[in-house]
Amino acid sequence: MSTQSDNQTVSSVKRSSGWVIFVFFLIGLIASLISGWIAFPKLLYSTRQQPIDFSHKVHMGVVSNGCQSCHYFRDDGSFAGTPTNAECESCHMYPMTSDPDENKLVEEYISENKEVPWLSYAEQPPCVFFSHAAHVKGSDMECATCHGDIGHSDSLREYQENRLTGYSRDIWGYNMLRMGEAKHGQRHKMNDCAACHLEETGSKGDCFQCHK
Amino acid sequence: MKIDRRCFLSLVIGGAVGTTLTPVPWKLTDDIAIWTQNWPWTPEPEEGPSVYKKSVCTLCNGGCGINVRTVRGKAKKIEGQADYPVNRGSLCPMGISATQDLYGPARIKSPMKRAGKRGEGKWEKISWEEAISTVSKKLAELRSREKPHTVACISESDRGTVAYLIDRFLKAYGSPNFIRTPSFQDSQELALYLTQGQQGTIGYDLENSDYILSFGCALLDGRGNAGRMFSAYAGFDKKVKLVQIEPRLSDTASRANTWIPARCGTEGALALGLAHVIVREKLYNKDFVENFSFGFQDWTDEAGKLHKGFSSLVKEYPPEKVAEITGIAGSKIESLARGFAGARRPVAVSGGFGQGSLDETLAINALNALVGNINRPGGIAAVSEPDYLSWSEMKIDKTASNGRKKPRADEAGSSRFPNTGHLLYRLPEVINSSSGDSPIQALLVAGGDPLYTMPDSDAARKAFDKIGFIASFSTYMDETARHADILLPNHQFLERYEDVPTPAGVPKRIIGLTRPVVRQQYDTLHIGDAFIRIAHNLGGFIENALPWKNYEEFLKKTLSNQWKTLEKQGYWVDPEFVIPSWDEAFHTPSGKYEFYPTERNNPSGKDADALPGFKTSGIPGDPEQMPLILIPYESIRIAGGAVGNPPFMTKTVDANVIKDEDVFVELNPKTAKEYGFSEGDTAILKTPAGRAKVRVHLFEGIMPGLAALPEGLGRKAFSDYIAGKGVNINSLLPEVAERGSGLNRCRATRASLTRA
Amino acid sequence: MTKQEQHTRTKRYGMVIDLDRCTGCGACMVACYAENNVPFKKNESDKMLSLNWIRVFKVDNGKPFPDTEICYIPKPCMQCDGRHMEGHSPCVSVCPAVATDYDYPTGIVSQIYTRCFGCRYCMAACPYHARKFNWWDPSWPAEMEKYLNPDVSVRMRGVVEKCSFCYHRYQKARDKAYLEGRDEIYEHEYQPACVEACPTGAMTFGDLLNPEHEVYKLSRSKKAFRLLEKLHTNPKVYYLSSKSWVRRKADNYLEGQSPGQQNNARKTETASH
Repeated sequence: MSTQSDNQTVSSVKRSSGWVIFVFFLIGLIASLISGWIAFPKLLYSTRQQPIDFSHKVHMGVVSNGCQSCHYFRDDGSFAGTPTNAECESCHMYPMTSDPDENKLVEEYISENKEVPWLSYAEQPPCVFFSHAAHVKGSDMECATCHGDIGHSDSLREYQENRLTGYSRDIWGYNMLRMGEAKHGQRHKMNDCAACHLEETGSKGDCFQCHK
Repeated sequence: MKIDRRCFLSLVIGGAVGTTLTPVPWKLTDDIAIWTQNWPWTPEPEEGPSVYKKSVCTLCNGGCGINVRTVRGKAKKIEGQADYPVNRGSLCPMGISATQDLYGPARIKSPMKRAGKRGEGKWEKISWEEAISTVSKKLAELRSREKPHTVACISESDRGTVAYLIDRFLKAYGSPNFIRTPSFQDSQELALYLTQGQQGTIGYDLENSDYILSFGCALLDGRGNAGRMFSAYAGFDKKVKLVQIEPRLSDTASRANTWIPARCGTEGALALGLAHVIVREKLYNKDFVENFSFGFQDWTDEAGKLHKGFSSLVKEYPPEKVAEITGIAGSKIESLARGFAGARRPVAVSGGFGQGSLDETLAINALNALVGNINRPGGIAAVSEPDYLSWSEMKIDKTASNGRKKPRADEAGSSRFPNTGHLLYRLPEVINSSSGDSPIQALLVAGGDPLYTMPDSDAARKAFDKIGFIASFSTYMDETARHADILLPNHQFLERYEDVPTPAGVPKRIIGLTRPVVRQQYDTLHIGDAFIRIAHNLGGFIENALPWKNYEEFLKKTLSNQWKTLEKQGYWVDPEFVIPSWDEAFHTPSGKYEFYPTERNNPSGKDADALPGFKTSGIPGDPEQMPLILIPYESIRIAGGAVGNPPFMTKTVDANVIKDEDVFVELNPKTAKEYGFSEGDTAILKTPAGRAKVRVHLFEGIMPGLAALPEGLGRKAFSDYIAGKGVNINSLLPEVAERGSGLNRCRATRASLTRA
Repeated sequence: MTKQEQHTRTKRYGMVIDLDRCTGCGACMVACYAENNVPFKKNESDKMLSLNWIRVFKVDNGKPFPDTEICYIPKPCMQCDGRHMEGHSPCVSVCPAVATDYDYPTGIVSQIYTRCFGCRYCMAACPYHARKFNWWDPSWPAEMEKYLNPDVSVRMRGVVEKCSFCYHRYQKARDKAYLEGRDEIYEHEYQPACVEACPTGAMTFGDLLNPEHEVYKLSRSKKAFRLLEKLHTNPKVYYLSSKSWVRRKADNYLEGQSPGQQNNARKTETASH
C-alpha cells in the first residue's frame, strides 16, 4: 500500500492537474468539432460555378408548359433532361436582351455550335436508371418534390462536387448528417429513393427497378 | 502547469470524441464505399435521344436493308429494316457487327503512300491533293505512251452508279479492263445468257417455292444474300421441302428436310441423273419442253448435221451409273427426281463448290426448265438491271478508242472465253507468263481484296509484284491495300451514299439507298469522288465524260426519278418490272429456252461439249500422293470475302474451329483413325498449291475421305482481332479453269495430312 | 402491398426458342454483344473466359455419317424461378452481397455490377454456366467506345455479369407506356435484342402468364422442354424440338431415364401453382 501511495504522491506531484487535462480534452473536442463541421465539408467538396447563370424564374414567366417546356419527355418516353443548344436555339438564336449571360450563351456556345457544359445537380452515377416518366407521368409527382423550388430561382447556385466520389453534393444533401428536412428537397441517395418508395408503395422496390 | 503524456492523450481522446460527433467518420465511410465502386477508366457512354436511320448494308453483295440506332451522332446498333423487300428485317451477324468496322482498328484513316517496301506496312500520310495527283500522273503517263489498256480496275460489283462511274472513266480513259471479282454469279449469268439469251442475273423465288433443291448452295451458311435467305427460311411452312446436296453436314444441310451427301464435285452428274429419271418417266412439263424449249430432242442444223439433244444426253446418266459417280443410291435418285418433279413449285439452285462450273450450272438449270418453273412463282426468272443508268454517250479520243479495242488482260471475251465477262483468276497466269513488261502496268483496286480471295495466293502475289503501280481504294487495311503503293480510302458504308441495285438471286427489280447515318470519321473520300477528281485532273475527254461536281450530285441526278422515294423509304421497287410469259421471255437464236446452248463456246464442235455433260469432278492433284480431298466450307460466323471478321463475329466462333492461332480441319472419325489422328492433334496439310499447319477436329457429319477448312481465316492484314488466325484456304486451292468458259470450276483439291 | 398482392400483378417474362428453326448463325450473340456492351479480346477461343450473355452451343446425335444430325442450342440466362416459383434461383440464394436478386414484378434475375464484389459463388451455383466473370478491365480499341449503348452500364474488372433479358428495354417500354397513360406494355414493345435479331424467327419472348402472348401457347406445346429440368430450377427459357435426341441431351438423361418421366414431374410442379 505504502508503495502505492508513494507512487501516487510522486505522480501527483509530477502530473498535471485535472483541469489541465480537461482543458486539453476540450481543446481536442472543439478542434475536432470545428474541423469536422466546418473545415471537413469545405475540404471534401470543391465548388464550381455554372458556365452561364440562368434564371428559371424569368423563363417560367414566358413558357407555356411549366418545367416540361424545356425539360420535356421525348416521344419514346425518355426524359430529355438538361436542354441542349437545339432547344435554347429556338429562342436564343440571337440575343433577346442585353443580359451578359444571354450574350455569352449566344456568342460562345450557340453560334460556335458548342454545347453548354452545364453542371447537373442531380446527376446520378452511370449504374442508375431513373425513370422520370414513372414519377412525373405515372405517379403525378411534382418536379419540386425532388428538385426543390429551383423553378422559381433567379440565379443558379454553385455546384459542389465531392472530391472523393465525384458526385454532386445534392446526392448526399447539404446537411452533413442527413438529419431533418432536406434543403430544396435535395438528397438523392439510394436510401432516399427507398424510403419514399417504402412509404408510398409498401416496398423499397427491386434492384433492377433503378439499377442498370 | 505541466504538460505531459496524459494531456496529450486527453487531447486525442477529446479529438476522437469530437470527431464521432461530426459527420467525418460517417460521411467518409460512405464516400469511400462509393469511391471503391468508381472505375473512372471504364467508359460512360453519353445518353441522348435515339434516332433511327435507314440505310443498306454493303459489306457483301447481299444488299440488306438496315435500321441504325444512333445517339448523338454515334452509331450504336444495327438492326434489319423490317419492310425492306430483300431481307424483310432479317440480318446476318456480320451486318449487326458493322459498327465495329466503322469505329474499329482496320480503318485506313487518311490517304497514304508507301514508305517502305511493298507489303512492309510502312506508310506516309499524304494529302488528298497529293493522292489524287499521284494517281492522275501515273495514268496520264501511261496514256502519253499510248498504253491506256495496261490499266485495270478490280471491283466487287459491276452494277450501280459507282461501278458505272468507274466503267465510264475507264472507257473514256481507254482501258478495257474493268474486272469484277469472281462469285457464283459468273456461271449463273453465263448460263442465263446461253439458255435464255438474257443479260442479267438469275432470280430464285425461294419465298414462294415449295421444293428447294440446293446443289451445295450454302443458303443458310452465308452464300449470296444471308439476310434474305434467313427471312425466306423463316417464312417456310411445313409444306416446304428443302433438300441439300453436299458432302458435309453444313448448317444448311442440318436444317434441310433431306440431306444428300453426294461426293464432292459430282453435283452436275446428280443433276443429270435426276433429269434422266424425269425424262424417262415423262415427269417433265410437256407444254414448256415441247413449245418453248430448243434442243431437248435431237435436232438438225441448217447444214443438215444431226445434233444430240438433251434427252439423248441424259440417257447416258441412268441412276445406277450416277449412283456410282455420286455415291447416292439409285433408288434415292429416283425418289428425289419424283419428289422434285411432283412438287407444285420446285426450284433447283446452283452455286455449290466455288463459283460453280458452267457445265454444272447448265445441268442444274436444265432441271428448272424440265419442270417448267421458269418465270413462274416459286421458280427462276431473269432479272436485268433497272435502266436508271442512262447517261448520254460520251466522246472519246483516239488513244482511248485504240486502248479499248485491245483485248482484255484477263482474257474474258477473248476467242478462248468469248462469252465470259470477267476472269480475274486468269490474271496471275497471264501476267506471270508474259515475257517483258507486265500486261498490267497500273492496277486500281476499287473493291474486293483479291490478294486474299484469289486461289493460289503465291501466284497471285507474284503477279501483283510485277504490276508497277497499285492503288487501293479500300476502306480497311486489307491484304491488297497492304500491298499497294498508294491508299485512297473510301468512306465506310455507314458514312456514304451509294445505290444498291437488286442483289443477285432476288427476282425483283429494286434500288436500295445506302446513306450516311453518321458523320465521316476520318480523312476519307468517297470512291466516286476520287474517280471524278482523277478524271478532272486528267482533263480533256475524260473530264468531259465525268462532268459532275461530285458523286452525290451525280447520284441524285442519276436517280432523280426515284430520289424522293429513296429518301423516304430507303428503297424503290420498279413498278414496271414484270416477269414475261414464256413466249416473250427468250432471246436466244431459237427464241426458246435452249437445252442445247447453241451460243456456247465450243472449240471441239462436239455435241458432248456443248451439252452440259459430266466429265470429271475436276479435283486437281494426284490421288496417290494426296489421298484426301480438301474442301472449303462457309460459316456464317466467319466472313470469307473482302471484309474480314469484326471482333464480335470471331468471338462467336467455337473453340473447335479456332483455338488460339490454330484452325481445325474437320475429319470424319473414320478418316482420322485411318491416318492415326485424334481430336486436337497438330498436322501438316499439303495440297498442290501449298501447305499449312492445322489441328484436327473430328466431326461425324463430314464424308469420310474429306477434309474441310473454313473460309475467311488466315488473313495477313485487317485487324489484330482476325489477322494471323488459322489458314487462308484460298492459298491451298489451285486455280482450275473450265474449258470454254475460263471459270474456276472447282474449289476443292486433293490433299494429304501428315503428322507435324 | 403484400407479396401476394404483388404476385397477382406479376409477370413472368420468358423465352421460347424453336431449335428446329435455329440455324446457328450467331446473330443473337452478336446482337447481344452490341446491345449490352459485352467486351471482347483478341483471343476468344478459351470459352471459359469468354464473356457471353447468350451462347449458341452445337450438339450432335453422335451417329456416324451419314446419319449424323446437328442441333444448335442458344443459351441465355434461364432466369430461374426456383422450385415453387418464389424466386429461389440457385444464384440468388447464394449471393452474399445481394448483388443478384429476383425481380418479382418481371421474374427476371437481376445483377447489379456495382454491388458485386466478385466472389463468384453464383457462378458455382448456376447449373447453366450463364454467368461470366470479368477477369480483365474491358477495352475498346480504336474508337469503338463510340458504339457503346448508354442504356446499359459498362462493367469493370472483378464483377460477374449475365443476361438480363435486356431489362433496360423493359424500362424503356414502361417509360413509353407511362407517357401514353397506359398501365401495361404491349408484347412487341419489350423484346430482348437477341429475339429481335433472330433472323429466322426461332426465338419468341413475352409473358408466360399472359394467354395473349405467343410464349404462353408455345411454352405449353408438346414439343416444349427446358434444360436440366430434373434440377427443378424452373427456368423461364423453353425450347422446342421435334427430335427426341435433342430433348434427351437437354436434360443430360442417364441410362434408363426418359424425357417423359421428367415431363410428368414438371407438369405436376406447374399445376401446383
